[in-house]
Amino acid sequence: MSTQDTYNYKVVRQFAIMTVVWGIVGMLVGVIIAAQLVWPDLNFGPWFTYGRLRPLHTNAVIFAFGGCALFSTSYYVVQRTCHTRLFSDGLAQFTFWGWQLIILLAAITLPLGITSGKEYAELEWPIDILITLVWVSYAIVFFGTIAKRRIQHIYVANWFFAAFILTVAILHLVNSAEIPVSLTKSYSAYAGVQDAMIQWWYGHNAVGFFLTAGFLGIMYYFIPKQAERPVYSYRLSVVHFWALIFTYMWAGPHHLHYTALPDWAQSIGMLFSLILLAPSWGGMINGIMTLSGAWHKLRSDPILKFLITSLSFYGMSTFEGPMMSIKTVNALSHYTDWTIGHVHSGALGWVAMVSIGAMYYLIPRLFGRKEMYSVSLINVHFWVSTIGIVLYIAALWIAGVMQGLMWRAVNADGTLTYSFVEAVKASHPYYEVRLLGGFIFFSGMLIMAYNVIRTVAGQRAVDDARIPAVMLAHA
Amino acid sequence: MDIVYLLIPLSVVLVFFIGMAFWWSLRGGQFDDLEGPAHRILMDDDKPDAG
Amino acid sequence: MCCAGCAAVAQAIVDNGLVSYYRQRSALPARDATVPQSLRDLAAYDVLPPGNAAADGDIREAALILEGINCAACVWLIEGRVMQIPGVVAFEINFTSHRARVRWQPARTRLSEIIATIAAIGYRAYPYDRDRAEQARRGERNRALLRLFVAGFGMMQVMMYLVPVYLAAGDMTADVEQLMRLASLALTAPVVFYSAFPFFAGAWRDLRNGRPGMDVPVALGIGAAFAASVLATLRGTDAVYFDSVTMFVFLLLAARYFEMTARAKSLATQEQLALRVPQVAERLSDWPASHAAEKVPALALHEGDHVRIATGATVPADGIVVDGTGELDEALLTGEAKPQMRRPGETLTGGSFNLGNPLVMRVTGVGESTRLAAILRLADRAAAARPRLALAADRVARYFVSALLVVAAAVAVIWMRIDPAHALAVTVAVLVVSCPCALSLATPAVLGAAGGSLHARGVLVTRSDAIEGLARATDVVFDKTGTLTTGRMHLRDVAVLGGEDRSACLAIAAALEAGSIHPVARALTAVAENEIDAAQRRQVGSITHVAGGGVEAVIEGRRLRIGTPAYVGQLCGQALPATIAGVAEDCTVVMLGDEQGWLAQFTLADRVRPAARELVAALRKGGLRLHLVSGDRFASVQHVARELDIDCVRAVATPADKCAYVQRLQQNGALVVMVGDGVNDAAGLGAAQVSVAMGGGADVASGNSDVVLLDGRLDGLATAFDTARRALRIVRQNLAWAFAYNALAIPLAACGLVTPLLAGVGMATSSALVIANALRLLRIERKLSTPVYARTVTVVE
Repeated sequence: MSTQDTYNYKVVRQFAIMTVVWGIVGMLVGVIIAAQLVWPDLNFGPWFTYGRLRPLHTNAVIFAFGGCALFSTSYYVVQRTCHTRLFSDGLAQFTFWGWQLIILLAAITLPLGITSGKEYAELEWPIDILITLVWVSYAIVFFGTIAKRRIQHIYVANWFFAAFILTVAILHLVNSAEIPVSLTKSYSAYAGVQDAMIQWWYGHNAVGFFLTAGFLGIMYYFIPKQAERPVYSYRLSVVHFWALIFTYMWAGPHHLHYTALPDWAQSIGMLFSLILLAPSWGGMINGIMTLSGAWHKLRSDPILKFLITSLSFYGMSTFEGPMMSIKTVNALSHYTDWTIGHVHSGALGWVAMVSIGAMYYLIPRLFGRKEMYSVSLINVHFWVSTIGIVLYIAALWIAGVMQGLMWRAVNADGTLTYSFVEAVKASHPYYEVRLLGGFIFFSGMLIMAYNVIRTVAGQRAVDDARIPAVMLAHA
Repeated sequence: MDIVYLLIPLSVVLVFFIGMAFWWSLRGGQFDDLEGPAHRILMDDDKPDAG
Repeated sequence: MCCAGCAAVAQAIVDNGLVSYYRQRSALPARDATVPQSLRDLAAYDVLPPGNAAADGDIREAALILEGINCAACVWLIEGRVMQIPGVVAFEINFTSHRARVRWQPARTRLSEIIATIAAIGYRAYPYDRDRAEQARRGERNRALLRLFVAGFGMMQVMMYLVPVYLAAGDMTADVEQLMRLASLALTAPVVFYSAFPFFAGAWRDLRNGRPGMDVPVALGIGAAFAASVLATLRGTDAVYFDSVTMFVFLLLAARYFEMTARAKSLATQEQLALRVPQVAERLSDWPASHAAEKVPALALHEGDHVRIATGATVPADGIVVDGTGELDEALLTGEAKPQMRRPGETLTGGSFNLGNPLVMRVTGVGESTRLAAILRLADRAAAARPRLALAADRVARYFVSALLVVAAAVAVIWMRIDPAHALAVTVAVLVVSCPCALSLATPAVLGAAGGSLHARGVLVTRSDAIEGLARATDVVFDKTGTLTTGRMHLRDVAVLGGEDRSACLAIAAALEAGSIHPVARALTAVAENEIDAAQRRQVGSITHVAGGGVEAVIEGRRLRIGTPAYVGQLCGQALPATIAGVAEDCTVVMLGDEQGWLAQFTLADRVRPAARELVAALRKGGLRLHLVSGDRFASVQHVARELDIDCVRAVATPADKCAYVQRLQQNGALVVMVGDGVNDAAGLGAAQVSVAMGGGADVASGNSDVVLLDGRLDGLATAFDTARRALRIVRQNLAWAFAYNALAIPLAACGLVTPLLAGVGMATSSALVIANALRLLRIERKLSTPVYARTVTVVE
């Protein structure tokens, strides 16, 4: 049978396997830098220091781990919901190898100190160009596949993917506008507080569209499929999509409270972060209520546990975030570890868990198996992850609030009660707990790696998944 | 706050494109059946034939 | 499996590789799954060119309505099975509307084959003319949705630009503020010129007709606020109201969209009720020389043609009987419950139903010249002459608009004297804050909620002003047969006259009448099925039917007759029993006897619907005057009127009589609600201010009515009146609130105290209150996967 009768599982497989690999790598770096904060002696030489490794961690978990998860799931979902093969196998392969090259280059340049200094956009200009090329190819493959679809209706998950792809493209192009001065150095096209505004417009929308819209697309497909029940309200999911599109663009300034940014810009950042609560929670409720009438499945199905719990963390983070964007709250939380705690409840609780759940669904099918090698190991992974996350965020909540309180504590005569280093010392035990939590979560990923290896070992990769055909010759 | 001279017009242009996207999807009948697609993905059998 | 039939379907499912059906199925189907007789005439679908079958090269396309779908698994099953038919190119079902699009190659398969395949797995499919109704509705909905989207998007973005300006409170540099204003202008313009266009068009229409409706203050507010804001932006001074304008347009469009979708759902369901198989006639082209019949569309008949009318067939046109003696059910046309005997030389009316032996008829009128068509023309004329309901909100609007204009003018003049620089801003503030929103939102939001709530309870409202009509009605005119009564015969009494006991008599009667579709037969067999068990069933031999008489047969060597007293009396040879004399005038008497004598006397009559008693009592308690107008004989009509305690009665009414009755009431100032089901009600329904049709009745009644009671649920009607009254109360509350709000806000605005921010906030709160109040009407039950109404589609049931 011709290739047009089958789905392209190859590139899905490649990205899926690398999701697990980069997950381990990225989280290992995370564990390392957490350890470096606990034991500063672990900083060696110029390359193995906290300052250099932290951006490697963030890029690895967001773009390597998260990115590969998005690539693999979006390529899978768009094909299966459109009943057609990817627009171009060659271009899809380019996106895979291109993306791996970007990650490799990041792993090399960041420890070397080659950085633009922009959060989540540290990679220097040659890699930025490569990112643009890969991303344009991704857009062509994705939208081209939709254009040649055999099913008229475009399933809602694809809308989320489409929005994520287009928005990230715009964000990347605008934020990474830079003037190169050498092969490894460039200057941002913007300066001062203007640059800060652009940076956090990018930063927050990267969170909003890369880490939220994209993964909501994953959620809207894999939860119904795993639960074998339709989305609670499809109508609501469509409304949810459009509402999210409207409101996300202006939330950026909440990262810049009490900075040189004008008051009014800070205020609208706060206002719209609060407004964002509604569409976010609409999506969460829609996903969780999909299990309405089938809650018993949660008891026996650990993949569902991952997926549904991820939504709970999503709800928690999307509540916590707007709360933290309120100026008075932000006055306490800004620059403290509470922010890190918030990031990780979203990154580990929402992004990682939904990706893990999706991979456990996807990988067996890509290798011709009904399910993973060991379902009970998935269950172990789930509990390990949950414990890890809870330890992590609890530790940093306490640390963060404590830091904020200590920094602002003043004596009767107006002098600061605590010196900065005293606050650092007081934080140390919580950094230890955070390290423990992160390590536990990381060990869960090792369990996953073992399970994946046992699942794919000896199995023939599936390359002949048939596309349901329309009968007969066409006019 | 000069950067708004970039961000605001950019957002107006974006709004226009989003409006076009909505118009295109409406015309293409994307909103004609808001119950069926949720079931159709479940009808799609992705279980491997063997094992 | 309950029977071989189900086993066959299950086997078909398995044979065609569709076993997943059982895995996916989430709801079991309702009991009634028989294939209606009408679907056996499938060849009609290929003979007639359905108005909707488009051709595209060698592929034809048609639209179908599907029935019997209970859950998503059914959709998957039907799609899967149809796609397996060789020649089918595409087949897709819309889950929400249960309508499907099918494309096939005429060279390889036919539409009738596709429909037969669907019937074979237990579902029913009917072609319908997509262009007329659905395309129009879809286009309307899409346009409304696009306008709503533009308004909503504009509102959000403009808010994002202007809220910073408010929050900055002077802290923003002038050039940035100007940028925000320009951006707001750019995004408000499409909202005003595109989304709000219907309001301007409506206002223009109202003013031209000299009748200011709700659109006028709306258009005024939007126009003035936008114009003033544009001016302020260009001049760089004063306040802008772009956010208020966009929010206002969005809220208003949302309420109207909500109302439109509620109504569209009702309309779609109503359309489904009016489905009929294309009428096919059996023409005897060579009568009397040959009895060969060819099937032709009913509309293709000419005067002078001869047609054969089989037992159970509908008479295709007006005509005169030339051969055979038939018993015709003309209830739908005349309201007469009893079947009418028709001998050679007597007239037949198109649309009546042949219960007895086959007839041959000579056609005298086809299409427009039939009696049926004449009744429809009468109905159309009556509808055109129907008095218009003056709606509450419209009345208010008239006063409001005039008052508002006067106040605004006065404000402008006064401020020009005091402080000319602010005159414009203050006048605009007055116009904006006067919030026509509460006024204009009040009605559509409430009507939408009421419509939705009623739909969920089996009452379809297809015209918005019907709800207000129900609330303010003074008189209710009821038809009898099929409306207040079931329209079918029921066994009222069994008098045992001979040696056999009651059960034995019923068993014999059922055996004799088995297989007949006569209403008497149906009534008897129905009772027998409930009361007699299988052991008592009798075997019947050598049956003879005599038109106008009854049935004779031999059971266990015994000659038996059942039928009219005269016919049965011939066999028993005895005089009529005394019991006959005591039978009420509206009843039908059916005798059972053998060669020895009478065995039993069955008394049958139409029965008042159980729900009718409660309905009539409830309506009378609500202060409504009740009338009963029927085409049936006086005795029958009186009987029902006495049973239900209705005083105003009119019997033997022709369709024109019913119409005149309603119009006479209206001349005395009454607001009339008419409830009917048959063709003979069409004219009266057309004349009444609110027409209520029984679902399942003639489609010409239900297809054009303002309200349809699904499954003939009269209890729904009592609820409808209540809900309508509640709705009107809420509309009045909303209007009262609007007045109170305006009474407070306008003076404030006139004094120059209302900033654009306050205007926007006030409008939002006021509108939210109105909408929340309207939503109290919504007690919609949890949405099921599909609405489940059992409905059969044979022409007569």
